[in-house]
Amino acid sequence: MKVYTKTGDRGKTSLFSGERVLKCHDRVETYGEIDELNSFIGMLLTFLPKEEKQIVSEIQNIQRVLFQIGSWLAVTPDSGYAAQLSPLDPAFIENLEQSIDQMDQALPELHSFILPGGGQAAATAHVARTICRRAERHLIRLVQNEKPLGKKTEERMAITQIYLNRLSDYFFILARYCNMLMDIADIEYLPQKKPADTA
Amino acid sequence: MIHKEYKTELTGVRYLSAATYEASFTRPKNFSFLPGQRIRFSAKTIQRDYTIVSGPQDDRITLCIHHIKDGKFSGIFASTTPGTQFMFTGPHGYFRYFPSDDQAVFIATGTGIAPFVSFVHDHVRGFILLHGITGPSEQYYKEQLISAASLYIPCFSSRLPDRQNTSAGFHGRVTRYLEKNLPSGKYHFYLCGSAGMIADSLPIIDERFPESKVFIESYA
Ligand SMILES: Cc1cc2nc3c(=O)[nH]c(=O)nc-3n(C[C@H](O)[C@H](O)[C@H](O)COP(=O)(O)OP(=O)(O)OC[C@H]3O[C@@H](n4cnc5c(N)ncnc54)[C@H](O)[C@@H]3O)c2cc1C
Repeated sequence: MKVYTKTGDRGKTSLFSGERVLKCHDRVETYGEIDELNSFIGMLLTFLPKEEKQIVSEIQNIQRVLFQIGSWLAVTPDSGYAAQLSPLDPAFIENLEQSIDQMDQALPELHSFILPGGGQAAATAHVARTICRRAERHLIRLVQNEKPLGKKTEERMAITQIYLNRLSDYFFILARYCNMLMDIADIEYLPQKKPADTA
Repeated sequence: MIHKEYKTELTGVRYLSAATYEASFTRPKNFSFLPGQRIRFSAKTIQRDYTIVSGPQDDRITLCIHHIKDGKFSGIFASTTPGTQFMFTGPHGYFRYFPSDDQAVFIATGTGIAPFVSFVHDHVRGFILLHGITGPSEQYYKEQLISAASLYIPCFSSRLPDRQNTSAGFHGRVTRYLEKNLPSGKYHFYLCGSAGMIADSLPIIDERFPESKVFIESYA
């Protein structure tokens, strides 16, 4: 199948529910951010130690859920087309919470903010965390702008919003966990008292 | 999602025109699909999708395939004896019919007619159909489509020899029909077939029918 279809050359795209919209439409921006997040997660996977099979499969499941969220976002709410898509299972949120708790238990307690960074895996997890936050903010704006929504759609969007919120927490903990696996200490944030000596 | 693999048996092949044939297969017991969906065959490193022509209740699966000269896969069923077994995965795709108060307009090129025939098997009626083909010999499933459509327009893209020039239909591409003949309005467009037709139709739809919805299945 050809990658380029030329159908979007004039700046418009078709939503899954059939509407023709500009590519800068809020809905397209939002699922674009989910796609961006998914791609960064793909990069993160390449930096994880091979033996961390459980984390790898966990992250691949997250990628699948993000695909599902992407298709939800490509449908105009309450348009009837949404009936074709399976709703996001709240169990996905519980899975994230369990993983967060498990990793957190293995980590030293945190007493201050940390600087995003460390090893490649951790640094990429931090990037994923911030893209996830951006997607979450965009989703909230989208929902606000499209109100009032039907009850079912409201519920579904709420679950997606919670999922994204939890997912960025997951990436924060994962970043710390990756640094721990690689024996890299997190650097705590200390306020800079005076400009650094550049000499 | 990992798609399930099914075993099927080729039961027959019949040519619909010089280069297009219909291949029929047994339908695996637990295989179900929605009209508009397709199945995927694999051979070595290549994978090819074919849209199901038959209806979801039929006990055979039929495909309508354009046999491309020098194509790697499209001729395979035409040169295989009935009884041969094949594996496929599916059903794939999201090209579906959504009932609506807005007039449905189906636009196909060549074997892109396949999902619309399946819709008809599933009792979809009252649509406008534009079928882009080179000449009258490619009006596959004509009778069935005429009886289900409110308007059936074959659009002949080739200059026809004089003896065929009397054939009822539109002499020009589907895009020309869209541009010149379809009254302005709000429609549900369903486009299936060549990527070129789809890419050329969209700007016309955006300009002439801006309130419409568009559903796309590209064979590119
Ligand atoms: C979603 C989807 C659904 C599809 N459904 C159908 C279907 O129901 N029926 C059907 O016949 N095909 C269908 N196709 C196309 C099919 O999957 C193959 O691409 C096609 O049969 C060509 O395969 P091939 O291996 O013989 O040719 P290839 O070896 O892949 O191609 C050989 C050459 O032929 C050109 N070519 C490709 N298609 C055509 C064409 N239609 N006419 C002229 N030249 C062409 C290619 O550009 C290439 O240069 C579908 C494709 C997609 C993506």
